[in-house]
Amino acid sequence: MSNESIKVTINGKEIETAKGAVLIDVCRENAENIPSFCYYKDLEPQASCRMCLVRIDKMPKLQTSCTIKCTDGMVVTTQSPEIEKAQRSMGEFLLANHPLDCPVCDRGGECELQEVIFDWGDVEERFTEKKNKAPEKYLSPIVANDPQRCILCKRCTRVCSEWMGEDAIEAGNRGASTVIGTYGGWLNCSQCGNCIEVCPTGTLLDAVYRHETRPWELDQTITTDVYGSDGMQLSIGSRAGEVHRIVARDRYVNGLNGEFLDVKARFAHEFINHKDRIKTPMIRYSKGGKLIPATWDAAIKHVAEKLSAHGSNVAVVVSPRLTNESIAALGLFARDAVKTENIAISDRQSMAAFFENLSAPLATHNDIRYAQTIVLIGGDAEEEQTYTAKQIRQAVRNGGAKLIVVNDTPIRLSSKASVFIHADISTVDAFALTLADPGNDSAAAEKLGVDAGLLGEVRNALIETQGDVIIMCGSDLSADAQAVIAASAGSIAGDGRRVLLHPLPLYNNSVGAIDMLGNTGSEEMVIEKAKAVYVAGSLQDPELLQGKDFVVVQELFETETTEYADVVLPAASFAEVDGTFTNNAGNVQRVRKSIEPVHQAKPDWMIARSIAAEMGVDLDFEPSASTLFKMIADSVPGYGGLRYPALKDESAPVQAKHDVGPRDISSYAGALQKWVEELGDDSQKNFEPPVIGHKLHRLTTMTSKTPQFHLLANGNPKPENLLVAPLAQFELSGEPKQELAAAVRVGDRE
Amino acid sequence: MVAATPTSYTDKVAVTSEIAEFSPDVVEEMRSHLAKYPADRTRSALIPLLFVIQRERGWIDNPGVNFLANFLNLEVTDIWETATFYSMFNLRPVGRHHIQICKTLSCKIMGEPEITEHVCSKLGIHPGGTTDDGKFTVSLVECLGSCGTAPMMQIGFDFHEDLTIEKVDKILADCN
Amino acid sequence: MEIKAIGCEPLSLKRVQIENGHTLKVYRDTGGYKSLEKAFGMSQDSIIQEVKDSSLRGRGGAGFPTGMKWSFVPRDSPKPKFIVCNADESEPGSFKDRYLLQYDPHSLIEGMIIAGFTLGASTGYIYYRGEYNYLIDVMDEALNEAREAGLLGNNILGSGFSMDIHTHTGAGAYICGEETALLSSLEGYRGHPRMKPPFPAVEGLYGCPTVINNVETLTSIPQIIEMGGIAWRDLGTEKSGGTKLWSISGHVKKPGVYELPMGYADMEKFIMEDCGGMLRSDKKLKAVIPGGSSVYIMNAGQILGQGVTLDYEGLVEAGSMLGTGGMMVMDETVDIMETTKNLTEFYKHESCGWCTPCREGTDWLVKIFDRISSGGGKPSDAQLLLDICDNIEGKSFCPLGDAAAWPIQSAIKQFPDDFKKWLSVKTNGNGSHANN
Ligand SMILES: Cc1cc2nc3c(=O)[nH]c(=O)nc-3n(C[C@H](O)[C@H](O)[C@H](O)COP(=O)(O)O)c2cc1C
Ligand code: SF4
Ligand code: FES
Repeated sequence: MSNESIKVTINGKEIETAKGAVLIDVCRENAENIPSFCYYKDLEPQASCRMCLVRIDKMPKLQTSCTIKCTDGMVVTTQSPEIEKAQRSMGEFLLANHPLDCPVCDRGGECELQEVIFDWGDVEERFTEKKNKAPEKYLSPIVANDPQRCILCKRCTRVCSEWMGEDAIEAGNRGASTVIGTYGGWLNCSQCGNCIEVCPTGTLLDAVYRHETRPWELDQTITTDVYGSDGMQLSIGSRAGEVHRIVARDRYVNGLNGEFLDVKARFAHEFINHKDRIKTPMIRYSKGGKLIPATWDAAIKHVAEKLSAHGSNVAVVVSPRLTNESIAALGLFARDAVKTENIAISDRQSMAAFFENLSAPLATHNDIRYAQTIVLIGGDAEEEQTYTAKQIRQAVRNGGAKLIVVNDTPIRLSSKASVFIHADISTVDAFALTLADPGNDSAAAEKLGVDAGLLGEVRNALIETQGDVIIMCGSDLSADAQAVIAASAGSIAGDGRRVLLHPLPLYNNSVGAIDMLGNTGSEEMVIEKAKAVYVAGSLQDPELLQGKDFVVVQELFETETTEYADVVLPAASFAEVDGTFTNNAGNVQRVRKSIEPVHQAKPDWMIARSIAAEMGVDLDFEPSASTLFKMIADSVPGYGGLRYPALKDESAPVQAKHDVGPRDISSYAGALQKWVEELGDDSQKNFEPPVIGHKLHRLTTMTSKTPQFHLLANGNPKPENLLVAPLAQFELSGEPKQELAAAVRVGDRE
Repeated sequence: MVAATPTSYTDKVAVTSEIAEFSPDVVEEMRSHLAKYPADRTRSALIPLLFVIQRERGWIDNPGVNFLANFLNLEVTDIWETATFYSMFNLRPVGRHHIQICKTLSCKIMGEPEITEHVCSKLGIHPGGTTDDGKFTVSLVECLGSCGTAPMMQIGFDFHEDLTIEKVDKILADCN
Repeated sequence: MEIKAIGCEPLSLKRVQIENGHTLKVYRDTGGYKSLEKAFGMSQDSIIQEVKDSSLRGRGGAGFPTGMKWSFVPRDSPKPKFIVCNADESEPGSFKDRYLLQYDPHSLIEGMIIAGFTLGASTGYIYYRGEYNYLIDVMDEALNEAREAGLLGNNILGSGFSMDIHTHTGAGAYICGEETALLSSLEGYRGHPRMKPPFPAVEGLYGCPTVINNVETLTSIPQIIEMGGIAWRDLGTEKSGGTKLWSISGHVKKPGVYELPMGYADMEKFIMEDCGGMLRSDKKLKAVIPGGSSVYIMNAGQILGQGVTLDYEGLVEAGSMLGTGGMMVMDETVDIMETTKNLTEFYKHESCGWCTPCREGTDWLVKIFDRISSGGGKPSDAQLLLDICDNIEGKSFCPLGDAAAWPIQSAIKQFPDDFKKWLSVKTNGNGSHANN
């Protein structure tokens, strides 16, 4: 689409628009509604549903407005008896074989087909023949499928291919017997569920939510994903204090991530109301004794006394999963109440060094989608920052961007790369050296085990780019490498070329945690020095708590960490609190309370505040998330001036202003050089592409509470009978349930 | 009429990792197909290669599909989507002799119904069926481009035209 | 089955009738590859001009002027270019290409090389319908002969032009005859048509400029180069140049492939005399589908005594179309409701399923016909059928939808009684029809 502006006439109205704009978009932007099913902005056009027919002067037939690019002087009619007849007839065709079982369809009330037909009213059903039949079945533990409802808009197959690059679900057969499915009838993929999300009808369904409620009974709360650092916006559907399902922020509007979510964000929400949630505070009165339920008052009093007793000989360790508000509050708690600087973020792969050395601004996810050149250094975006990975894939596939992948594993994205620097095992750090100084090329290439010319090639690709260059840095790189990459990026910019940085941290609020607390020591360091430890969340390495006098843990569930705890305090999950997370693009996004805290749980910041109060210290902030955030805005550089109202429209994310400037990298570069020299030199390469889902499907404290994840983690076995829920046919271990496996026959369905 | 194999059937395929093996000549033949297309367009060879698989293995079975997936660097479902579109590919076993009787207009008015009736009653199966000994499968198919020599049928790739009951008996007798 | 030319010297059929016409030797002895040498001596533009002068129109059914199609190719484009021969011949009633492929492969090869030379294409593919697999060996044999004789490969006949041609097979899908679906299929995908524009001439196979022509179209090229565009055109009429192959089937004594000059007069003489008249002399002519199943069906009244000329214009005037020239003749024993049902089943089976109206429409139509033929017809069905056709026609993604609608629309119009009798009567218990 060019920026040359032209005039088109729609239903008599003259309208200015960009040359080459897609007609259906222009019509909709100008309140001329046009029904459509197969059209999906930002997916390749398909023009198969024939729903969007309009009349264009000087053209013989009705035209599909989803395929027409606007030209100057075009005269368009979108409403006339002829057009309504055509559109109604498409609706009639689609309903012909569509079972009218809306009352028992999970998509009822959210179905685009239902909506279009309803809008017309008085639809006479002339189809009185037998409908084609096909049984409802399962495509995976997570995806249920009712083929009869399919209108073959192929959004699902396009998102699977264009967004996910997986081509796991396709169309089979032809003509009226065309179906959406897979070879073998079983979906072995990352189970992102985007096919379910984009399905306009009840053909692909969320098997975790299946038949739990009717959509309109749900209270929808828009909030931010608690797993990945992309900060995907989503909508929690809850009823009577229970979370039933998660869908993308809004089925029809493109926000930060449109309808894109991944398997964890969309399905791993069963932990929220899980029976194993810690219900009350608990105190272990003597080491080795049991945790005994206690009242909040008793527990807080107990903790306050013990901590006061230890003076400043206390470590505070904070999980990067908490909200900015809670992390900030725990920071105050440490400094003002416990009076210690002995505070750490329990982030296995902290990117603090990266953030201390930004020489270029952070890229937004939209920048990534339209970038010209993308350098992906380390990381495993497809498993850890799935939305970033999707933007990369589309930038390459739909936008023609040049992708350069530097990795010691042939991740799937490497097959889309124009240059793949396949480094020897764990030598990726060496690549940072070439960014710092071309002089290092030969040394780096040697260590990486690649041809030095390749590195030159990369540099040329960068400096020849017109448009945006985006440099992505995995959190698996060493601190020095991260620092060098962040610090050298700026120098690549040139006229007509913007350079942007994109970090790939692990947790939903890794970035916010750094913004709140800065570059803290590691959990080892701080715990080492302390006799008492206050943990919000759980530790990467619980053993560190071995032999401490006194340990307090705020958690959702009993974990290895709580086994060392003398006091356990029930914390509220992200679905039960207000606050903010900051994502890997620096977007500060709202977390909204969807349900009341379960049982006696309290927000982490509130617990810290009460304990401080009990210790006689007033952490002077009003007991509300919004005042906490105001305090953050006033103290944290980069958050200046932010307020909740400014974050209201989650489709227009607000970016924190991280400190960007020219950096002196000499010290890091030196350190990195040494480090790289000392790297193992067995020049081994790994040629095994990682299995899809090897990280996404891992069982963790939170994901393991959604039963379906056990089947995924156990290799997603195909059940005997696709008509029966997999959970009814397998033990969580993935072992077939004997009696059932025996009982179900496969033969009975042609 | 057997069109593309019903997916209710391919749904039942137990997808294994077993990969079919072929004699050097057959692999050579496959390579000669690949050679016809640009190096980065090997998927073009998919349909010709599916015919080779079908000829060698009797139908498009799972080990055959796995072989192609490796050979052409595709997902098995990519092969499935293409294979199920075309009516000549059998994603389930068929008889050694696949009798395909043309049922379209010219053949229809020139005596196809009698031929079909005769063949089916002789073999004791219905169109779409396979004899118990796995020797014959009968399908009704659309126009095969022999309208001038109707009625006609195709067995395997061979055309048999200007059919009469006597001719059909002889043809069936010659099948072994 | 007859194979002969009437009213003109055999051109397309020249070698189809002679012994070993498929071999390079005989082909050359009968003047083969002379046109290629001549073409090498001509400029690309003058070749295109000759083809334009010949007013050759595509023989695959759409009848698009070939010279014009060729002139759309961006010959200066840096991308490679392709010549694709459409040998998918799947239109019910057409079987002419089959005989050219079997008995005169070299004239197709020669035509493709000339096309390649003209448009700067160094690769050609011949897309056979899967059911024609048994014919591919003949062509591969001929291609090898040509390679060995230096007619394919590098620097053909010292012209400096290089090209190779490969055979490719489909696997049973009528839609793959549609040029863009053919390309999808040739790339190894499902045979779904693609959006036009971009037209194949600009973005075709692998996104490169591609010319797709029917077998008969391409075999006409050497003739045109040999005798000159104007002379070739004058074999036929001003607007419809040259000669045309007709495939005749159904209730005639001498079905077969006939080569007639365009503008041949007239259709009645052709059926009643040239083709030997009605198969059963005591049965009257009832209906003719003149151009393959995808055109309007004609009743006897539109033909007998009407002086219908056999060319594009003549058949349009008479209320149908030339299509592929696949003429299906039916006598009075035929029930037009049943033949229409038969064709509708064909279109349902061959609908690729991409777009709503064709996929769901043909499925619905067949269900209605099934009900009617089992005695459940209702008077309102005629109107319903027509309205469904109207909702498909002009709204489908590709012309197959239209092709499914036309036979029904014309059948109900031209043979109202054949429908009335099905739509008014009651069944007699066993579902079979009361009055037959
Ligand atoms: C449904 C459909 C089926 C077709 N089948 C054939 C075919 O079997 N053979 C053919 O040559 N053209 C066929 N065509 C026409 C082609 O799309 C295309 O117009 C033709 O091959 C161009 O070559 P020509 O200009 O030489 O005729 C078909 C078109 C449609 C819409
Ligand atoms: S009209 Fe539509 S469904 Fe029918 S063949 Fe063409 S694209 Fe496929
Ligand atoms: S939206 Fe245009 S055809 Fe489906």
